[in-house]
Amino acid sequence: MSNVIAFRREERSAAWRRHELQQIVTSLGPVLRADPARAWDTGTTEIGDPQFYLLRQEPDESCDMCISRVGSVYVVEDGEGRVLFDGANLAALGEKAVAFLRKDRGQIIASLALAWIGLRHFVHDKVEALMAEGEDMLVHVAPQLAAFV
Amino acid sequence: MRTTKPLADIEAAQDVTKPSVTRSAADSKQMRKQAGTWLKQLRAAAGLSQIDLAAQLGLKYYTFVSQVENGFGRVPTESMANWAAALQVDPSSFARHLLSFYEPELYRLLFGSEK
Repeated sequence: MSNVIAFRREERSAAWRRHELQQIVTSLGPVLRADPARAWDTGTTEIGDPQFYLLRQEPDESCDMCISRVGSVYVVEDGEGRVLFDGANLAALGEKAVAFLRKDRGQIIASLALAWIGLRHFVHDKVEALMAEGEDMLVHVAPQLAAFV
Repeated sequence: MRTTKPLADIEAAQDVTKPSVTRSAADSKQMRKQAGTWLKQLRAAAGLSQIDLAAQLGLKYYTFVSQVENGFGRVPTESMANWAAALQVDPSSFARHLLSFYEPELYRLLFGSEK
């Protein structure tokens, strides 16, 4: 017995309805505007359910997020097929999708910030050690110059 | 009872386009679409619908199968063996063939220009 959620063919229409596409683009507007490298495209499944693909232009125009309508349910998946959200309220799913994408971006920024702090500490520790060594040597070799350090 | 078919039988009947040397984003997209077309042919040869394939892969919705076949997604590496089993093809050949679409430079490093 199939465990896949699907609905009878006669309930389907192949294209996004205008208000649906408008809702999706409106919901994702902040994400699309914040990143000029973003784009989107649409497609359909084998049995005519519409799909919306949120794309990242670089490096390979891959899909970050896919929104599909399966019968009366909207499904939001990431680019690797993980179901992120599903439900009947497209506007609510749109908000969740934006929050998810922003969290993703935030995590990247946080990781970069941590890496930068780590690098600064590393450089600071190493440079301080080298400076101290140099200063030590100067004091022993040329005490007269040490006054200028 | 299922039998695993060698990919060579299927490939022989298909026009398999190999990737170009340099790869732009558009090239990558095109290669993914070709991979999707190839996967769709395999699925048809196995007599499966997208829903059937999704069921065999244990997916909650069949929509990811469509995403991959439309060229907007890739078969995840960790599930390539499951896809191969569901499509009744040799897993090693299946993975290698997908690599030629998804990572053509790596494919060329590993296997040269051979088909």
